[in-house]
Amino acid sequence: MDYTKQIQEIATRLFAEDKIDVFVGYRLTGFDDNQVPALIRESKDVPLLVFNQKSVFNLSNYLKNDHTRNKRVGLVVKGCDSRSLNLLLTESQVKREKLYVVGIACEGVVDDAGQKMQNCLECMVPAAVVYDELLGEANMERRFIINADIQDMAAKELVQRREYFEEVFENCIRCNACRHSCPLCYCAKCCIDQETATLYNGANTTSSAFHALMTWSLHLAGRCVDCRNCEKACPSHLPLHLFHKWNERVIYENFQEHLAGVHEGDRGAFYKYSMQDPDDFIM
Amino acid sequence: MARVGVFVCFCGANIADYVDVPQVVEEAKRIREVKFAIDYKYMCSDPGQQQIRDAIAQHRLTSIVVAACSPRMHEKTFRKALSDAGMNPYLLEVANIREHSSWVHQKDKKAATEKASDLVRMAVAKSIANEQLHEISVPVTKRALVIGGGIAGIQAALDIADARIPVVLVEKSPSIGGKMAQLDETFPTLDCAQCILTPKMVDVASHPYIELIPYSEVLELQGFVGNYKVKIKKKASYVNFKTCTGCGACWQKCPVKVDNEYNMGIDKRKAIYTPFPQAVPNKPVIDAEHCTMLTKGKCGICAKVCEKGSIDYQMQDEIIEREIGAVVVATGYDMWDPKPYEEYGVGRFKDIITSLEFERMVSANGPTNGLPLRPSDGKVPKNVVFIKCVGSRDEAKGISYCSKICCMYTTKHTILLHHKVHDSHAYVFYMDIRAAGKGYEEFVEKAQVDTGTTYLRGRVSKIYKKGDKLMVRGEDAQIGQVVEVEADLVVLATAVSAPKDNPDLARLLGISYDKYGYLSEAHPKLRPVETAKAGIFLAGCTQAPKDIPETVSQASACAAKVCGLFAGDTMKKDPMISTVNTEYCSGCQNCVKVCPYGAIVTDEVPFGHGSKELRTVAKINEGVCQGCGSCVAICRSTAINLAGFTDPQIINEIVSI
Ligand SMILES: Cc1cc2nc3c(=O)[nH]c(=O)nc-3n(C[C@H](O)[C@H](O)[C@H](O)COP(=O)(O)OP(=O)(O)OC[C@H]3O[C@@H](n4cnc5c(N)ncnc54)[C@H](O)[C@@H]3O)c2cc1C
Ligand code: SF4
Ligand code: SF4
Ligand code: SF4
Ligand code: SF4
Ligand code: SF4
Ligand code: SF4
Repeated sequence: MDYTKQIQEIATRLFAEDKIDVFVGYRLTGFDDNQVPALIRESKDVPLLVFNQKSVFNLSNYLKNDHTRNKRVGLVVKGCDSRSLNLLLTESQVKREKLYVVGIACEGVVDDAGQKMQNCLECMVPAAVVYDELLGEANMERRFIINADIQDMAAKELVQRREYFEEVFENCIRCNACRHSCPLCYCAKCCIDQETATLYNGANTTSSAFHALMTWSLHLAGRCVDCRNCEKACPSHLPLHLFHKWNERVIYENFQEHLAGVHEGDRGAFYKYSMQDPDDFIM
Repeated sequence: MARVGVFVCFCGANIADYVDVPQVVEEAKRIREVKFAIDYKYMCSDPGQQQIRDAIAQHRLTSIVVAACSPRMHEKTFRKALSDAGMNPYLLEVANIREHSSWVHQKDKKAATEKASDLVRMAVAKSIANEQLHEISVPVTKRALVIGGGIAGIQAALDIADARIPVVLVEKSPSIGGKMAQLDETFPTLDCAQCILTPKMVDVASHPYIELIPYSEVLELQGFVGNYKVKIKKKASYVNFKTCTGCGACWQKCPVKVDNEYNMGIDKRKAIYTPFPQAVPNKPVIDAEHCTMLTKGKCGICAKVCEKGSIDYQMQDEIIEREIGAVVVATGYDMWDPKPYEEYGVGRFKDIITSLEFERMVSANGPTNGLPLRPSDGKVPKNVVFIKCVGSRDEAKGISYCSKICCMYTTKHTILLHHKVHDSHAYVFYMDIRAAGKGYEEFVEKAQVDTGTTYLRGRVSKIYKKGDKLMVRGEDAQIGQVVEVEADLVVLATAVSAPKDNPDLARLLGISYDKYGYLSEAHPKLRPVETAKAGIFLAGCTQAPKDIPETVSQASACAAKVCGLFAGDTMKKDPMISTVNTEYCSGCQNCVKVCPYGAIVTDEVPFGHGSKELRTVAKINEGVCQGCGSCVAICRSTAINLAGFTDPQIINEIVSI
């Protein structure tokens, strides 16, 4: 999977036709073959753009930033990224007419060790669902998989589960990188940072981490698109996907196979109400 | 420093028998901020309230906790006690130690006492973060909507309009009048229904304060008490009511014949029709389902014969909006379909009819010129069997409730039969004779003597055919024997049931209904005409089966409620409503989507300090917000606060236990 050439051509064209102010894509770090997000403002920088299986980050996170807000933006999105973009559109955070979206029919990205990422192996929606132009073939059939981590978790007693998480939370340094890297955490003032939110206060205690991360994961329940920006950003390597995948499974199984961000206008299972909604999974 | 007063109520024995009240007081005294705690037999009594008033002054209290019954019972009472003592009434917190503790933990006094203490501790913690709140005034739209134009809707509309309050009356069918317009003479005085109803119908049409919108339905209700907005669908009538004179040329010439609903399908009406000669408004409508011009484009006779050119086949449904302040729902009832009574041969034997069919036959303006006739051969029946409680009080086949009116109208029917067919004989199969009401028992007694009707106590088990007669087999419980009666005609007193569309209507209005589909009153004894939603009232059979006197009383009661609501120019509103902190709002609009009252809109604010860039945020209309808290729960960044239930208050409660 290498769309470097096509993306460079698209970006050049968009600048030439004066359709965009900034193009958000990927470039090499300069040290190794890892990539970082690139905000390209002039056509002369377009050759910096790359796209291949190392293009891991979810770039829709860069739509909430000062350099893109209210600007005309060109954006590259893979399947998962396009779903968070869809949610941003639905939740009135970005305007579709300001965007030129280059969708990718993604074949999966790899981690530092060159292994295909776990979320890509389990991915249900590899091809972008919102785009102006799609690169690759969009005909990939997928099946919902409950991964081994989650099966292990489900096998644990409630007490054991709590013990496990308490251990995990000990490592959290409350840096909030997870939140900042999540495209769907765009709140003007996050609940965790509010003066009245005494439950989350207290530098980096296990209890404050517990409450903060639990709240965070519930705010992403039915919205998280499993892009793993958060997990990649966490300096303490917390297995953050466990919360999100757990919620994703519960929601998929209980709310008519709901998957976040697949349809525009769908705010997610927790934001609509029907008489048929089950409630027996609530602890 | 907060100074909290705690007042624990015995509620006679209600609380004291299951909760150690003095112990709760002792526990309360241990809380740092509690400067005064006391118990009393009845906190809500005047001496009880006096204790609160006195303590506020003596102990310079800054908030009050009353541990007693549900705040639904006496929150208002205690708030008033605070006001009277010069304290802001919203500094009160009620700990419900009755419904939430003593009543539900009657077997374990120790646990109930501990729970009561916890509830007090939470209320104290919450009250410390309580803020002074002030009632809000909102303007009132002094116009009422009445849904349904039966006798209930007619009476409510007239009473409200007579108080010079404009009324919008929405009736589903082409004419007002409802079921009463189908009745002959009415119990218990036997005055003719038309004679007493028609003048009222005419009054409705000519009343300067009533806007009658027939042939229409309510589509949507938005807003809140005093400020509702209603969307009404006027169904296409295909007749221009402004120019039509009601001359009748059209329906005389219309070639299409349809079962006449008004006469229970005993005769036919045309595809263009007025339901009955005294209809109000007396203008015809075209039944789009049956008119061949509308279904197949063939005919057009009515347009040809109409001298006024009033027929318009292109007419479309129209949606109109009205602003109103209160609603009276008077959608009446349906007749229960006796199909499940297979053993009676319902549907198989032509000479079994329902009570309303009988009512139409004996009516002077009915399809048989006022004579009961056998549907099978058109002969006048001699032996008529009336069967009561068909569907009523029959959980297995019908409904478990008593339909309340059938005993009385069946008695009436025996009289009417006797008047019309002098040599007839009536038999009544009954379970009880329920004749509670002014003059009702006398009416029944006199009828029995005058008509010589044979009353047989028991249920009918089977009806079968013998020649052209019907054999009615049932038990006569008084003699303990099975009896068989040979009948020319059988009349079933079928149950009264709730209108089929009531659940949909209830959802649309945001009110509740019971398992049968009757709309629910706020309190069965003390608030029988109010619903749980402020400004929506119930009249007539839509709430439960009832006869005309009761229906009319309830309708007038609704009118009194509406007039009371509209007595001032503004209405006081609870200040416990939500507000958006725009600094924290990201404009995701989840709250807009979730608000059941449509109270939230969007607004634009500068992006940052001094910025020219704008961003979208949510804004709550304080007049519309009902303080339900849905938006508070949905907002991830807690940008919304509900006065009286702020985050600090709730967190205080959680942390206190
Ligand atoms: C056989 C029989 C004999 C009776 N005899 C007597 C008697 O002698 N004396 C006595 O006191 N009582 C008698 N009654 C009872 C009497 O009919 C009722 O008490 C009375 O009609 C109730 O009036 P109402 O306005 O509540 O309902 P209804 O008369 O049913 O009127 C309801 C009106 O609302 C309209 N409507 C329904 N749904 C909607 C909607 N969604 N939107 C707009 N409009 C709607 C209907 O079209 C109708 O016009 C008798 C009943 C029966 C069945
Ligand atoms: S929570 Fe993590 S995995 Fe989920 S959408 Fe946000 S960044 Fe991606
Ligand atoms: S954790 Fe919740 S409140 Fe905080 S930014 Fe994310 S969604 Fe908003
Ligand atoms: S990024 Fe990791 S360490 Fe930082 S707050 Fe999130 S979970 Fe904790
Ligand atoms: S009113 Fe009389 S006939 Fe009717 S259901 Fe009640 S008991 Fe039966
Ligand atoms: S839910 Fe909260 S953040 Fe979203 S628009 Fe409403 S107030 Fe603003
Ligand atoms: S509390 Fe919120 S959701 Fe409820 S009525 Fe008020 S604005 Fe609407």
